[in-house]
Amino acid sequence: MFKFLIRISSFMGKELTGILRQPRLILTLVLGPFLIMFLFGLAYPDQNRALRTTFVTTNPNAFQEEMKLFTDSYSPTIVDQGVETDKELALSRLARNQTDLVIVIPDAPFESIQNNQQAKLQVYHNEVDPFQIGYIQTIANIYVNEVNRQILQTVTEQGQEDSGSLQSGLETAITKTQALRQAMPPGDANTTQVTELETDLTDLHENLTTFRSLASGVLINPFAVETHGLSSIQFTVTGFFAPSVIVLLLQHLSITFAALSIVRERNSGIMELFRVAPITAFETLVGKYLSYLFLEIILASVITALAVWLLKIPMLGHWQDYALAMVILLFTSLGVGFLISLISETDTQAVQYSMLLLLASIFFSGFFLDLRLMREPITALAWSLPATYGIRMLQDVMLRGYSVPGVIFLGITIIGVGLFMVDWLLLRRKMES
Amino acid sequence: MSVLCKGGGQAGCQALVNAALDKYGQLDSAFNNAGIGGESNPIADTGAYYSKWFRQDQMNSKNNNQSTMDVITTEGLTKKFGDEIAVNSLTMQIPRGTIFGFIGPSGCGKTTTVRLLTGVYEPTSGRLSVLRKNPIDFTKSDRERIGYLIQQFVLYPELTVWENLNFAASFYGVSPFRRGRLNRLLDFVELSGDKYKLTRDLSGGMKRRLNLAATLVHNPELIFLDEPTAGIDPILRRKFWDYFKELQAEGHTLFVTTQYVGEAAYCDLVGVMYEGKLLMIETPDGLRRRAYGGDVVGIRTTEGMRHEQRIQLESLPFVHGRVQVIDDQETDVIVDEANSAIPSLMEWCRAQGLTVETIEEKSPPFDDIFVKIIETEAAHV
Repeated sequence: MFKFLIRISSFMGKELTGILRQPRLILTLVLGPFLIMFLFGLAYPDQNRALRTTFVTTNPNAFQEEMKLFTDSYSPTIVDQGVETDKELALSRLARNQTDLVIVIPDAPFESIQNNQQAKLQVYHNEVDPFQIGYIQTIANIYVNEVNRQILQTVTEQGQEDSGSLQSGLETAITKTQALRQAMPPGDANTTQVTELETDLTDLHENLTTFRSLASGVLINPFAVETHGLSSIQFTVTGFFAPSVIVLLLQHLSITFAALSIVRERNSGIMELFRVAPITAFETLVGKYLSYLFLEIILASVITALAVWLLKIPMLGHWQDYALAMVILLFTSLGVGFLISLISETDTQAVQYSMLLLLASIFFSGFFLDLRLMREPITALAWSLPATYGIRMLQDVMLRGYSVPGVIFLGITIIGVGLFMVDWLLLRRKMES
Repeated sequence: MSVLCKGGGQAGCQALVNAALDKYGQLDSAFNNAGIGGESNPIADTGAYYSKWFRQDQMNSKNNNQSTMDVITTEGLTKKFGDEIAVNSLTMQIPRGTIFGFIGPSGCGKTTTVRLLTGVYEPTSGRLSVLRKNPIDFTKSDRERIGYLIQQFVLYPELTVWENLNFAASFYGVSPFRRGRLNRLLDFVELSGDKYKLTRDLSGGMKRRLNLAATLVHNPELIFLDEPTAGIDPILRRKFWDYFKELQAEGHTLFVTTQYVGEAAYCDLVGVMYEGKLLMIETPDGLRRRAYGGDVVGIRTTEGMRHEQRIQLESLPFVHGRVQVIDDQETDVIVDEANSAIPSLMEWCRAQGLTVETIEEKSPPFDDIFVKIIETEAAHV
């Protein structure tokens, strides 16, 4: 047992010393991820993209007020670039990327409405990115809803104003009806009808009073919506992405370290010495796992500390849950790295596999596209990546304040232990055959 | 300098070496007396020679300890890679405490043999026993008794000399209280002053010495050294052989492969390998004799030897083969045994009226011996 520990310690010491011998590497490993998160935070402001918008209308004066109201309401999402009367000129500016949106207002919109037809606003863009196109479509819908709302509000206000003269007429009618009722002799058969007429007129007057007293905004938008998250914190872009960035970076570091570890030894020829020496594949692998786990835990601690205390990334959960999630993530990532190392023939191949895995993790781990948007069979690929589990665990712990989700933890543990067994068997075949 | 032998093992080890060499001396005489020499088929004879010697030894010794003396025994050991035969029916026994030189040209199967003996490869056929076990069945404790120096430098360039040595010590399971031992090893390979140097900054020779130190770190009793001197300068080569001699003196058995035929002189026994076949195992002297069919004696006379005299010289009973004319005055002859032949040759010269200026046993360089052996033996393959 004592010799077993000594043999394990050989690889622990060797791997750690080999890495610690490279101070620039250590600095890069600690500061690199932090800088990436910092720049990521700087690069993405917490607001939507501003769209430079040019309006096209043959009669600029007629709609100036509406356009101003709209651009003011949606600033800074909409940046008004003025009004053009020449549509082709505006479109050529769009093609030259001098403006982002061209909104063409129809020539005689009110005539179309009076003719029982919708007046169509044409919105032009020059985007190819489906997400940007979706964003513009949303903005266009918001814009047309806003125009409709403005028009409705104007009409309503006009109606309220017009109803003023109607109301005074009603008051006169009520007064006359009251006089008529009083002038009628008692027991007259028409008294009941006059009384009913008076009541109807009074109700109508009250309704008109209510109509006139309601704010036009409430009248055309009787319902409003407010959304509330369970989390008490409003996350910034950096705050939301930080757990995912930490997971991706640590997964990639673990995989790259481990991927290069065994393949280099195979190429150097020392594997032949291991075959003859009394060291086993199990001892070698455990030594390597422990050394890299130790190193990665230190790296993860430093990166987390910088993220939480310097970048103010929220940490709503318990640190022990965070530590548990991190250790299992690193353990499983190392397993992937060692597997790459054992199936690669050269350093280059190992690095390529690691990069492919990083790419796969970016696209399929839910890093920037929600897994719920993914088609069902492809999610199997997503759930084969340690990063997918890592992101879920860290988001739950850091952003929601939950514990590590049991099913997710079980899933990544099964993968991690499975990878350890496969790595062990492969290494044994290479060392002890 | 006692670096590796524990306690009083050195004297015992040396006694074993001497016993082994005595046996080989007796064997050599028996071999010559039996008439097994250049005229028979030495390749076929190699296995027979050994088994005969082995049987004879068993018969001669009532208190036989040969089986414990042999650290390596192979019989018909063969390794094939596909259709290619890398090692062909190798039969040999290597006694404990010897330096066994395994000599042959590049690609002749030396490294494959070492890999078979260390358990890296499994043999295609034949039997082998290393430390009385099949290497494939080695346990950890068996492996702790073996040291293996690989041809190329395989340690870690980003670690220092000390760290590399520590790493090797750990994976061999050497106790953590080993500082003194590692320091002594570094003294032995003369790297004490460079222990904190990064290995990537070492010269080629220093790397070789570090490799050697790493091989010895767990004090193995059987050491396989695969071309330890390849590509290094003659001074360092000499130094390496001094190390090997010291290790032998401490009781270690060394199995050394080399392409440098001249290094055969440092070995107790030499196996000559050619195209996967073991041509012979001999002492260095025996090798010389096998190459030339006897000892070479050079005769330098004042008058020079006439043709008829040379023919007469060749007909003497203790002279073998044709005499070789070096120049007008000098002639080389092959004799059974130089010490007994030289007085007879001087007598013959006197009878012929030749004035002997010098007459001495010649030691042809091992390069020449090797070429001659290969030429002779390859003809039988």
